[in-house]
Amino acid sequence: MNKKLGVYICHCGGNISDYVDVEQVKKAIESEEGVFLAKTTMFACSDSSQKEMVEDIKKNELDGIVVASCSPKLHLLTFRAVAERANINKYNYVHANIREQSSWAHSDDKTGATEKAVFLVKAAISKARYAESLEPIKIKSKKAVAVIGGGVAGMRAAIELSDMGCPVTLIEREPFVGGRVSQFDILFTTYETGKDLVTRLYNNLLARNNISVYTGAEVIENSGSIGDFKLTIKITPRYIMDRCNEGRLQKAIDACPVEVPDPFNFNITNRKAIYHNFPSEYPHKPVIDIENCTRCGECEKICESVDFSQKEEIIDINVGSVLMATGFDPYTPKDGEFGFNQINNVVTLPQFKRILALSNEPLIYNTRAIKHIAYIYCVGSRQVEGENKYCSRYCCTSVIHASIMAKKKFGNIFNYHFNRGIRTYGKQEVLYNESLKSGDVYLQSYEDDPPVVTQQGNKIVVTVNDILTGKKQMAVEADLVVLVTGMVPRADNSVGSLFKLPKGRDNFFNEIHMKLRPVETVIDGITISGACQGPKNILESSNSALSAATKSFSYVSKGELELEPIVAEIDKNQCTWCGACAEACPFDAIKKIKDGDKEIAMVNNSVCKGCGMCLPVCPTDVINLIAYSNREIESMIDALAGS
Amino acid sequence: MATINPDFGAELKKYGAFDFNACYNCGNCTAICSLSTEEDSFPREMVRFSVLGSTSDIKSSLKPWLCYYCGECSTHCPQVANPAELIMSLRRWLTAEYDWTKLSGVLYRSFAFTIIAFIIAALGVIGFGFAENFNMETIMLFGHKFEMIAIIAVFGIILLPNVIRMWWFIILKPKIKVPFIKYLTGIWELIVHMFTQKRALGCDDNQFRWFEHFILVIGYLALLFTTVALDWFSTGNLFIIILGYVESIIIFIVTVDFVLSRIKKNREISKFSMPSDWMFVIWLFLMGLTAFIVRLFIDTGIIKNNIWMYMFHLIILVQWALIIVPFGKWTHFLYRSFAMYFAKLKAA
Repeated sequence: MNKKLGVYICHCGGNISDYVDVEQVKKAIESEEGVFLAKTTMFACSDSSQKEMVEDIKKNELDGIVVASCSPKLHLLTFRAVAERANINKYNYVHANIREQSSWAHSDDKTGATEKAVFLVKAAISKARYAESLEPIKIKSKKAVAVIGGGVAGMRAAIELSDMGCPVTLIEREPFVGGRVSQFDILFTTYETGKDLVTRLYNNLLARNNISVYTGAEVIENSGSIGDFKLTIKITPRYIMDRCNEGRLQKAIDACPVEVPDPFNFNITNRKAIYHNFPSEYPHKPVIDIENCTRCGECEKICESVDFSQKEEIIDINVGSVLMATGFDPYTPKDGEFGFNQINNVVTLPQFKRILALSNEPLIYNTRAIKHIAYIYCVGSRQVEGENKYCSRYCCTSVIHASIMAKKKFGNIFNYHFNRGIRTYGKQEVLYNESLKSGDVYLQSYEDDPPVVTQQGNKIVVTVNDILTGKKQMAVEADLVVLVTGMVPRADNSVGSLFKLPKGRDNFFNEIHMKLRPVETVIDGITISGACQGPKNILESSNSALSAATKSFSYVSKGELELEPIVAEIDKNQCTWCGACAEACPFDAIKKIKDGDKEIAMVNNSVCKGCGMCLPVCPTDVINLIAYSNREIESMIDALAGS
Repeated sequence: MATINPDFGAELKKYGAFDFNACYNCGNCTAICSLSTEEDSFPREMVRFSVLGSTSDIKSSLKPWLCYYCGECSTHCPQVANPAELIMSLRRWLTAEYDWTKLSGVLYRSFAFTIIAFIIAALGVIGFGFAENFNMETIMLFGHKFEMIAIIAVFGIILLPNVIRMWWFIILKPKIKVPFIKYLTGIWELIVHMFTQKRALGCDDNQFRWFEHFILVIGYLALLFTTVALDWFSTGNLFIIILGYVESIIIFIVTVDFVLSRIKKNREISKFSMPSDWMFVIWLFLMGLTAFIVRLFIDTGIIKNNIWMYMFHLIILVQWALIIVPFGKWTHFLYRSFAMYFAKLKAA
């Protein structure tokens, strides 16, 4: 227990030494037990200081060091690395923060600041006396990634992972891949269709033998953790073995007597119980919607591939990381919100886009010839009162593009944009310019004074107090009102709950750090990409998919993971399982296990974050947090209390 | 409540406006304008009314007449929406709206119709000359009488009713109450602006342009007075003869500069020209030039053998008096000064 310690007290230029008398601190701690050498330094983090520390450690065969400087958030890792370079275990380094906690906090009281700094350094020395050498926890990591969601983000990520040589399981809940993008027609800026993008990605997927694609598949169970997720997948059958022979599929669809609203077209059209979304959907197999199918057998008579004997399948897979790409739902306005569901010809932006894609000249909706179209922006986004405070990013561009397309496709169309400020950021600004120059009218209002949609006889009238015209009330007689709805999280986001993924205030999945760790989640091994994280356009979804793929791959690429050894450990001889620790654990890292004939708690090292929440709730005090043992903490308290 | 009229943009384009839809309401134009004030801010508001097709707001507004086209707004417009040219077009459109005969609108919108009108006027003069056997004295006498009759008729039948219509749009229809005494006390404002265009001095770039325009107006009015009241072509008074020469020289020198600047497009105001703009400056130039030459022919005694010169002058005069003055750009002389008068009344 006679450790030889080196202590360094930093001036931090003057940040510390202007208020804390560092020489006095040095004198006060020099004679502490175990302190072999004590020095002050102008900048402990400078190259020369670091070199000096390495030399000191080597020459004097020190067992540990303490640096009293700034916040550990800034330089803990710097000085741990110094310890490693001097060939001592990095956990024998202890950090004392005498800048944020002393000099900056008490700049009005130099004597007090110095006194406090002395205590802080003494406490750090006490901890260093008991610090143990630790080795990182090593766990095996299965070199395979599950991608959940087969939209553009999911497919893009899967292709990238496959390129890196990582086997991928792509799990899509719908019977077809492509997600929301397959519902889009012509896209800005490339003028490809959504279908084109999906086709390209899907063909790319098929060309690879290390990607397995499951459609109609859902993750129903998860056990395990980073490096070793065990997922159970339920696969709903298509009830169709293969494509029907030439032309018979259409006949089978025609023969089906069931008609239900088609969610692919946002319920503006109906589909049959046997269906495909568009003639070249992926996979190239129609599907029977068994929930709505009456089993009348009409299709079976026509198409030999129909097979009602197919059974639900359950498969288990084992992967090292999970990449979430579950996408978004468009916001559905409430009944009566701008006349939605109450006034005819009030539709949402996704519906409008389907109407444009499906209609031929002239544009007619609900038997009404469409000439004047009013667009009401920010419906379900940027709500002052409602839940969705955020901007959905894509809608301004999307609706302006759609309105330009409407003019180009149908000619004599007049567009009126009731907006709250146009956000066609970046290259998308050219669309706004094009729209203005083509004569579209933009009217603007504040959030507290939105436009009003009313039905007056056969007319639909939209009025607004236009702030660009001195709040003058302006009215438009519209044939179609398009509510420019934003993005919301998937209505059924149960797969997130399965993994205990945290959600933000907006209910989208949350990253660890918005700027620096944008695709990682607090659940180790699970990354997020695309619009399941928040509103994104296709470009942004691809970007995040690529970074999530890289991050997920980094968890599995070496086949082994090194984890921080600072975790809780439970004395299994003394534990009598009461469950209090498991309840307190925010990461679900503690499980009940059988040890011989008694039940005890066990910590999953790969999930434990070393937060210490379990310690105070243990009635028998048998949990120890490595590197923060009772002995270490008590000795620090003693030092701080001056005893 | 006003209903948006999306067809107005297309209508206004026939009067020379273009690209004003590109406006994204930043307001740079209004900020840069040296004549815009907090109470009377323009041109953004006018651009906005034009985009929305809010014609009643435009008709009841004096703002298009408060602009003297320095063009700073167009120079600084980030969207190249040409607010200055839009305001110019609104002045043309308003001129057509004030005109009860609706002929102004037809002439502005159709160049073909304008040409036909000019040809008819020319043929009329030639036909008259033919009927009179090109008798020099009868024709010159008629020319002199025509001037007087035309002035009275054009004012009485066309211009006065149109100014009254302008008054109705601006004061009566919006129900602005103006005490009668103000109509009298405001007249000084009308006269000052009619003869000096002093508001134009407020444009930052405008001192020389204002001076050119000022002496052109004075020269034109003085020549009108000299030919009609002092009977320049028949007088023997040396002072009057020289006065007429000076006035006609001023007119054609200034108009030559105006025409050249429209060709060179070296100022914002001369960048875009409608047929009505060309006709106005060219005919004014021809008026000055032909009057000068006619008097020169008289003084050198060669007019008797060159009656065609007087015929040419008369054709220009008739086209000017019957087309450009009542229905063309000449009217801005009246509407601009009455706009200042009505602004004074509204302020009261």
